[in-house]
Amino acid sequence: MESLKLDKDKLKDFIAALDSKKVYAPQKVGETIKFAPVNGDLEVSLDFANTTVPPKEIVFPQTETMFLFEQGGTDINLTKGGAEKVLLGVRPCDARAMSVVDNLFSWDIDDPYYLDKRKKITLVGLACLEPPLNCFCPSVGGGPASTEGLDILMTDLGDAYLFQPLTPKGEQLCQLSSELLQPAGAEDNARAEELHREAEKKITREVDIKGLAEGLPSLWKSEIWKEVAEPCLGCGICTYLCPTCHCFDIQDEMEGLDGRRCRMWDSCLFKEYTLHASGHNPRPSRRERQRNRINHKFSYFVDKFGVTACVGCGRCINLCPVNIDIVDILSKVKEAL
Amino acid sequence: MVDLENLRTIAKETISREDVKYFIGWREGTYGFSVSPHFVREPAEADKLIFSPLCSNNLATYLTLAEKLPVPRGQEPDTRKVALMVKGCDSRAVVQLLVERGIEREQVVVIGCPCQGVIDTKKVEQLLGQPENVVRARWEKGKIICQLPDGEKEFIKEEVLAQKCLKCRYPNPVIYDILFGEKVEPWCQEEDFQEVKEIEGLTLQERWDYWQEKFSSCIRCYSCRNVCPLCYCEDCILDRLNPTWINRSVNISENTAFQLSRAFHLAGRCIECGECERVCPVNIPLMKLNKKLSKAVKEMFDFEPGLDPEAKPLQASYRPDDKEDFIL
Repeated sequence: MESLKLDKDKLKDFIAALDSKKVYAPQKVGETIKFAPVNGDLEVSLDFANTTVPPKEIVFPQTETMFLFEQGGTDINLTKGGAEKVLLGVRPCDARAMSVVDNLFSWDIDDPYYLDKRKKITLVGLACLEPPLNCFCPSVGGGPASTEGLDILMTDLGDAYLFQPLTPKGEQLCQLSSELLQPAGAEDNARAEELHREAEKKITREVDIKGLAEGLPSLWKSEIWKEVAEPCLGCGICTYLCPTCHCFDIQDEMEGLDGRRCRMWDSCLFKEYTLHASGHNPRPSRRERQRNRINHKFSYFVDKFGVTACVGCGRCINLCPVNIDIVDILSKVKEAL
Repeated sequence: MVDLENLRTIAKETISREDVKYFIGWREGTYGFSVSPHFVREPAEADKLIFSPLCSNNLATYLTLAEKLPVPRGQEPDTRKVALMVKGCDSRAVVQLLVERGIEREQVVVIGCPCQGVIDTKKVEQLLGQPENVVRARWEKGKIICQLPDGEKEFIKEEVLAQKCLKCRYPNPVIYDILFGEKVEPWCQEEDFQEVKEIEGLTLQERWDYWQEKFSSCIRCYSCRNVCPLCYCEDCILDRLNPTWINRSVNISENTAFQLSRAFHLAGRCIECGECERVCPVNIPLMKLNKKLSKAVKEMFDFEPGLDPEAKPLQASYRPDDKEDFIL
């Protein structure tokens, strides 16, 4: 598929041309950077690196009503599917994360809530030319210009964005605003490739994950987990803000006689996550919970789906209040193997 | 100048005591301005201890966060003491825990560390970005010096210190067994509650809008609750399912219920270490809520928590002349 070019000052017009679809882009909402709907008059800035809240919340909202019911009634009122959405400025790691999570929600029984939203989004990625400090995407199979999961990859060429459509969906999107997009020249493509290579060189944090999937279970009783868990507060930052963490809980919530069945994010670092009705907890302390977090990402998920459930976005490192650093943990694990 | 040799000697001596389980301090983190709580059990581990303007974590939280797992049959519970380093604000948490009998005095060895204020990493990262290498920092003549890869950089306190430190009245530990370093002269005499007054000056609707915007960002990760040294109920209302006091749904109504419950439960108890606000990943100004309650408690009962280990908890003390003008 041919590459195209969009002048930076036409970004607003490009968004306007997609009017049939709702466009989401990284924005400062309150004090948080997250993907939010673009309003007509809003200046869109794609200068944010990783958003604090990953775009997974667009396809897997923190709280989602599955259906409504009435106490004593016999009918349920299913939640209707959403609208087509375009996510603009998605970082390659977050797009890869969606491909990772797709495995789970289309395994066994297809999950209609997730898949409906997933099918209706178009992911317009933006290559990370200035990767933040704690990024380590190349170590887990990605890269600052990885195209996996994306429909279009954009690269900032200075005064214009290079558009590389990657899927038929991406091509269709480009056609919606064909008068704004110019064909890109060979030199633009070469420049983008050079920028991608330079960006990858800027990533300094790395870890070798070879052998982790097979090796991790052998460290079941290792002291590493105690060391990792000792400062852990047991909060949900690292899991909630992880683009691949996908655990959820389902609860019925009542207001008077009106009920709703909701699904909401859950975290394996919460003590009640594995708490049995009997009061027994098979993961009684943060040591077992942290062990699970690492094993799930680097061993169980790999066993089941053949992919690592970590895309190296660095959020869990950046946001942990006590500096529990997944790259550091994995390095220690590698040493112990 | 912080005498790290002395600190490490204190730690080694402390852990060699038969009645001490472990020693909690701080060590350098893995990148940039990061610092991590550090648990010392072996002498070699003591050599990683640091004390610098980057040591924000209130370690008193680990007194109640430590998990009490069932003791296997035939074994005795480990009742040895926990030694921990505390700054002025952190020491108030220890006092408040003693007042509430969350801990007993003989369970802790308190290493008091007079403090000249800690860096707000969000502020300093805005000025300098995120340096790749681990940054060291120190206090020097009322200034903060950061050691960066391209040399040292000097900051005045106002530029980089956490807000709570700029108005700190208790830089010296209010309780300790061992004092590490020399006491410092407090730089702020009176609490003016300026940031609370600013919000009080708004109309009801403006205040509501302000907090609704803040609370709508909340992702309910509960880091503010978990990091708080005084949020230590074994059975927290947030975790209860039967009855469900606060729904798991993340929406403005439940988030508001959560945040207000959290704040109210700290009335007359918050010692203003600012940890809740520091750890919040979505930057909710939680200390403004806590300070509002501190102000009310100060005005109504002339009480400040975490100063006197012999005091009664505010909510367990009644005086016939207590103000009652809040009763409608």
